Parts: sequence; C-alpha cells; structure tokens
Amino acid sequence: MADRDLVDFLRRFILPLVRGGDVAVGRPIAVEELPSLEAQIPHSSPELAPVDDARTEVVAELVVRPPAMVFDIDELSLAACVHNLLFLVHPRADTWAVSASARRRVLETAQELAGRPLSHSRSRVLARHGLLHNIFRVNRVDTKISWWTGSATFLGQRPPQRLRTWRTLRRVREEQTVAGYDDLLGTVEVAPVVSALLRRAPLTQLLAMTREGPALFWEDAVFLLRDAELARAVAYRALRGNEPRQVVAAPARYAAALEQMLERAPAEADVRAVAAFLVHLNGLLALSEAGDGEAGRSPLLSGVLSPERAGQRQRGLATFFALPAALSMVDPRLAIPPGVEEDAVLADRWMRHRAQVLEGVGEATVDTLAGRLRRHLTPALPERASM
Amino acid sequence: MDRRDLPRADWARSPAPARGGLEHVALGQTRFMTPGVAPDPRGIVLGRYGLLVFPTLEGVVSWLRLYSAESPLDELLSGLEITQARTPLGSREMAVRIPAISSYVLDRAARCALLVGGATYTGTAKHFVKYRDDRSPYGYDAADLTPLPPDATFMVHGEDFTQIYARERDLPLDRLLFRLSRRRLPGGDRLRPDERRELFLVVAHGLGEGVIRYLWRNRVSGRVGLVTPDRKSAFDEPGRTRSHLLFRVQELPGRILDLFLATPGIDVFRPLSENVAVEVGYAHPIDLASCQSLFEQSRFYLFWGADDRVDTVAAPLELSAIEHLTRLEITLDRPAVGDTLKIAALDAVGVPIELAPSLTPSRRVVGSLIPLTQAQWLKRLVYFLPQTSLRGHRVALTDRGLLVVASPDVDVIPLGTPLAEITSGLLVPLGFDLVPRVAPDVLARNLGHGAGMFTVFPPTGSPFQIGDTALVPLERRALAKIEIGTVDVMDARAEVAGEPSVTNDPVGRFALWGYRTPARDVQAGLPALPPRRRGESGRQGD
Repeated sequence: MADRDLVDFLRRFILPLVRGGDVAVGRPIAVEELPSLEAQIPHSSPELAPVDDARTEVVAELVVRPPAMVFDIDELSLAACVHNLLFLVHPRADTWAVSASARRRVLETAQELAGRPLSHSRSRVLARHGLLHNIFRVNRVDTKISWWTGSATFLGQRPPQRLRTWRTLRRVREEQTVAGYDDLLGTVEVAPVVSALLRRAPLTQLLAMTREGPALFWEDAVFLLRDAELARAVAYRALRGNEPRQVVAAPARYAAALEQMLERAPAEADVRAVAAFLVHLNGLLALSEAGDGEAGRSPLLSGVLSPERAGQRQRGLATFFALPAALSMVDPRLAIPPGVEEDAVLADRWMRHRAQVLEGVGEATVDTLAGRLRRHLTPALPERASM
Repeated sequence: MDRRDLPRADWARSPAPARGGLEHVALGQTRFMTPGVAPDPRGIVLGRYGLLVFPTLEGVVSWLRLYSAESPLDELLSGLEITQARTPLGSREMAVRIPAISSYVLDRAARCALLVGGATYTGTAKHFVKYRDDRSPYGYDAADLTPLPPDATFMVHGEDFTQIYARERDLPLDRLLFRLSRRRLPGGDRLRPDERRELFLVVAHGLGEGVIRYLWRNRVSGRVGLVTPDRKSAFDEPGRTRSHLLFRVQELPGRILDLFLATPGIDVFRPLSENVAVEVGYAHPIDLASCQSLFEQSRFYLFWGADDRVDTVAAPLELSAIEHLTRLEITLDRPAVGDTLKIAALDAVGVPIELAPSLTPSRRVVGSLIPLTQAQWLKRLVYFLPQTSLRGHRVALTDRGLLVVASPDVDVIPLGTPLAEITSGLLVPLGFDLVPRVAPDVLARNLGHGAGMFTVFPPTGSPFQIGDTALVPLERRALAKIEIGTVDVMDARAEVAGEPSVTNDPVGRFALWGYRTPARDVQAGLPALPPRRRGESGRQGD
C-alpha cells in the first residue's frame, strides 16, 4: 500500500473541513497509516499554515487572543476519524464488495482515532473546536439524473457528461438534493463514534449543537463555563436568532442536558455552575427586553410558553425558564444573576419574566425541579440530617 | 442520649449476617445491587455520601488533621456528620459521613483514612459498600443485600463481612474542634518575618500603658481595644471578670516578640484567618483555616494554648491607634511662658554669584546646552533616537545655543554642555555649583527665577533665562513639512467560513481490500451494527 500523502489530505479534506468547500472523501485511513502521516507533518508547513490560519480565524470570533494553533497528531487523528465516518456514507461503502464486517472495521478504526485524551486545556479545546466547528454543517449534494430509459443517482459525485448530453432528445432531467448532518453523521451506526468525537471537543458541541446532535454531557463541558470569556461566547451564541423558538432552542437543549445530569451523580459545583449559566441566559433574555416598556408582557415568553403550544414545546424549555424560580427555593444566591437588582429597569423586567414563567409552566413544574435540585445542592452551612 | 434508651433490639441478639460478598464493578456497569449508588463520569461507583469508619475517636481526629492539611474541610461541612455507633456485639466505633462530592474527594478521604487505620465506604441511605481500592478500581457492589433490622441505622458491606451499626450519639464537629487541646510546637516561638507581619497581643489591664509606651517608642504601629470575652466559653470561670487589652500590631520586631513571650501577662496570638487566632508556640491539631465556615463572622476566636480555652470576642474588632493613647504630662498650674522675638534688618552683603567646582556628588543631568555649531550633529542624532527619547526631549533655539531639556525618564542627548538642576528650573553645568552656597529658594528669589521658567548658567558668560513655553517637544521640532498621500482602504475582515460539502473520490470496486482492524481491541465499546440498508436503487458512480 502506497503511503498516503499528508499534503493531499490537508488540501483536499482538512482545509475544506475547516474553511468550507469540497471535502474529498476517499479510501478510509487505517490506524497504521497514522505514524506515516504524522511523520510528514514537519515537511508540510506550506499546507499546514492555511489550516492553522483558518482555525485561528474561527477561534478569533470567540476569544480576544486566540492561542497559537499548531497542527499535530491530535488534530490529524480527529480529522482522520471524521474522514472515516464520512467514508461510511460513500456509495462504494454500501455495495456487495463491502461486507458488514468490513464496515465494522472502518467504524472501529474511527473509534480508535477518536480516542484522543479528554482535555480541559483551554488552548487544546479551542484548537479542536477550530478543526471540528463545521462538523454539524457538513452536507453532500446528491444528483439524480433520469432519462427516457432509466435513471442514476450520484451521491456526492459529479455525473459523467455523457449522461447529460442530448438533453432534449433523451429527455434528461436532473434533480439535486442536499443530505445534511442527519444523513451523513447522525445515523445510528456512526452516532456513538460522533458522540465520542464531540466529547473531545465540548466547545464545538456547546456552540454548534443542533437538535440532531448527540446528547450533551454537562460533566464534560462544565469546565468551559468556568472560563468567563468562553462562557460569554457560548451564552451569546446560544441566544442567536430572530424567531422566539430559534432563540430558546439552544438554552432548552442545555436545560434538557441539565435534567439528564441531575439523574446521575454530578459534583455539586458542576450543578451550580450549569444552573448559574442557565440563569445567566435567562438574565440575558430579560436584558434584551429591558427597554421594551414597563407594562408589556414578554412577547418571547408569550410565544414559546403559550398554553396552546404546550404540546410542541421543546424538551427542556420548561426547565430552562423554571430554573430561577426553583433555585430561589433551594439556594437563592443562584436564583438571580448578579447585578440585576442594581438596574431598576432590568430588575423590573426580570420580575415580570418570572411571574409570566410561573403562569406559563405552572407551580408543579417549579416544585418538581426544586426537589430534584435539592438532591444535589446543599446549603453552605452544615445541615443536620439523619444518617 | 442515655444508654438505657439505646435500642436493645432484636437484631442485637439475632445473628447478623457474618459473611459479606462484594463484586468488582466493571467499566460501564450501570446496574447495581446496592441502592443509591451510580457510576460517576469516571465510571467509579459513588453514592451520595462517603462513610469513614474508625475504631476510636483518635482515628477521627487524626483523619480530620490529615485531610484538613491537604484540602479544605469547608467543602465537606455541608454534609459532614460524626457519629458514635454500636455494633450488635456491643463494641463502639466512630463513623464519619461526608458528602461524596466527587470520586477525587473520596479518593483523598479514603487515602487519609487508610493511613490512620480507617475504612471507607460509599452509599446513600442505609447500605454502604466498600469504596474502590487497587484491586477493584471502579469500586465494589454488594452481591447480596439483606434487609436491615428496624432499629439499625446503617450497614456496611466489606469484602468478606457485613456489619450493622446503630447510632449511639452524634458528635458535632464544631464542638469537637473547640474541645481539642492545642499542642506545643517545637520552635513555634521563633516566627519568620512574614509570620510577624500581623500579630495579636492579649495584655493584662495593668500592663497596658507600659506596652503602649514601649510599642510607640519602638515605632511599632498597632491598634488597641479593651475587650471582654463573651461568657459563652465552656472554659470560662463564672464570677470572674476578664477584660484585657487586645492589640493588633504590625511588623513586630523579633526581639520585642521574644520579650513579650517571656513576659507574664502578655500573650501573643498569630492570626490564621480573618477571625481566628492561635497562641504563638501552639497549633490546633486541625487546620482551622480549612474549616472557616464553622466560625461565625460576627465573632473573633482566640485559641489559647497553655490555658486550653477558646475566647470569643464580638467582631469586627474596633481598635484605636496606640499613638493616641500615650501618656501626656499636663501641668496646668505652671503654664509655659514664651519670649517675644524681634526681627532686625541685616546689613546687605554684596557677593557676586559665581560658578565653582562642586564638592557634592554629581547630580542627575537634566538638560544640555548645545552650541549652534553642533546643531548639525543634533539633526543627525535625531534619526537614531527612539520614540521615547524624541518625545521626552524639549528643545529651544536661542542665540546662546540650543537648550535641550529632558523629562525625568529619559537620558539626555550626549551633546554640548550637560546641565544639572540645583532647584526646579535652575540649571548649572555638571560638576559645578553656585557660590556662595545659599539656600536654593533664596537664590531663586534673588535671580528672579520662578515657576515656568529656566535659568541657565552657561560655563562661560552671564546667565540667561528662558520661559518654559519656549521649549517645544523635539519630535515636533524635528519634523519638516510632510507630504501626505491618500491610500485605499482594504477589507481585512475575517472571511466567514463556508459549509463543507462532501465530494466522494473514486475508490475502486474493492475499496476496503487489505484494510485491517486496528491493533487495539475497541470492539467492546461499540454497539451492535444496525442492519444494512439495502434497496436504495440506482447507486452508481465512481
């Protein structure tokens, strides 16, 4: 087997993955090829520089001083993992020549490549995010060509010119569909590997998590909330959008992940950090409406918490909005973002939000959530409890 | 609790399950026999609490001492309980229940407990299973659970035994903390300078004045207040008033500290935190700074060493500066009477001011008088000067030469005659002084020198004066007229990343021919493959 060329892999796969463009997927990368590719890293500086520059540009949107991006085996391994996962949706990977065991070998290799150490290092997490930030936006253009005697589908490939000739005479018709994350990386087969991959890049999962992405484990990502700059970036990214449902989509998913977290045995400090972060998001929503007049009800809350849409509420949405009220029963220090009370207008809007939320989600939801939180949050002073 | 009230339960007579049985927990195991335990993110079995069992109270104290030295106890105080428990056979053991915040915390607690002869278990309510060790890194699970007798409090599951306990009494940590005797530290009297930065002195009332005078005379800054300890101390003697002076002194010299330590009636305390101090030479067995939340913020705690008691004073301490308490000599019957002085006009002594070689050390050069003949040199030098120097120099062109004055943070240009400053704005050549050596302000007044003015004594010729406004920054003076052109502004914004679109390369019909399984076995962690999707017609290409 000829050695795989790192320069080609960088130009045709990694750079487009980071910067956007045509991501070329070919024969899957074996674990044994990795040392050979790694040995080529020092000799591929001209091709590495654009990749590192592109990652720096991505990270520069999040932090003021991006860390130095140095492409190494860590990035190479994760990129190879993505490549192998994308190979599994290659048309040649689903033919008679590729058995189920062969596909499993590719999957095992991807799992092995994704098995980089988990990291809490800020620069490492940012570097991995720079590489994988587009993973939820990967798509593939599929072309179906039909003519008067038959049809053919080309998955991510350019149809041959011969099939397009004499369009009128042969009644050639061309349809293009776009396969998204669901079809490429969200399948049951590859989801566990994608989940393992995203555990290595928790910032990517927080920033770019879509409804279809793997479940978020706050235990892996909570350390990001302790970095004020990153937490701020996550908070602002979470509330993007113009439509009410779009604005609360990410916070609801975060809250749903908190619900799952409360069912495990998390550290109290972690629960506190996540809860404080979600209360902060509530505070940002109140701040966005602080200047909208005093008497009015929040159009955002009216839109997403209206009783007629109760059945369509996104999972975690009620928890997200009920959290401040529940925390006020468990630990009032967490129940209101710091500084809200110092601004009279904002404090007024905050109180109106809370009243409207209580009306929308009901006291039973708040009480239940408070009960679940009480299992994990203990007050600061010793509490007598029977053993 | 009276011992007669203790449950003489049936379980005490009934045969307790003598044999335990633990199973090693595997990575990823999620179902356990032991109620209330679950794997943490590392996969380690963890309940809501950790339970440390010691044969005696000494073990508990030793564990608290070890743990508090390594990590703050504050994080455990929210759920910490110390209990004396009784086994069915009547023996008593001490159990410490701590919240299992994380497996890291419990690892540390277990290590410390093992060192002092204790055992560690984890659980949530009544059943506690042995915590992980080297043989089972993910922990243990009970193989068989038997229901507890109704009056038993909890049961621990060891590797080859199970034990039932009934609670006899609770021992609150704060009470234990105040009961423990301070121990004498060998060499604890000799404090390092950083430890002497702030000390507290408790001085008997009669010695107060002498101590204040002594401290003031030795220029030791400090504050003092009269304090009466609260009557709440268990070590207090009823009927005896205890008021004494409490000093807070800064930077106490070592010799004074030694003197105070040797003086009866003066006790020296070293602060451990904002409201806790321990007598110098003694130490509490438990690191008091690590359990700060046990101490009320409205109290100041003094832990005595030799007397073995704890005094509390209302906090924050309101103390007064000692310099205002020194003794005053007041004799009102013989007021001091001063004399009246008259000022007589002196005869004028007309002595001309001259430059003479200075006998004093060289002053700092603040300016330079450059002859006009050296102006070209200055121009060339300007090209090599850094921006800070250009900005820091001011220059005036006069008929006596170029006067260059530098700001205090830059060095003067090494051209011409260096000038030093006698007083503000009065410049003389370096190494010279003005004679007669009258006070600078007298000299300035005689010369008509004032603020916003430079008076320069050149090496030769008469002195001259120049206004401050005549000096302009060298960087402004150095620039000739500059032609400014226009440039085009380029868009340097970061390019918005596009979406990656998959393009499948041709890989041949046997794409995976020779493709090998990775060396490490990762199959265990993978889910079963779903059935392949067939029947999607017309897939063609390459």
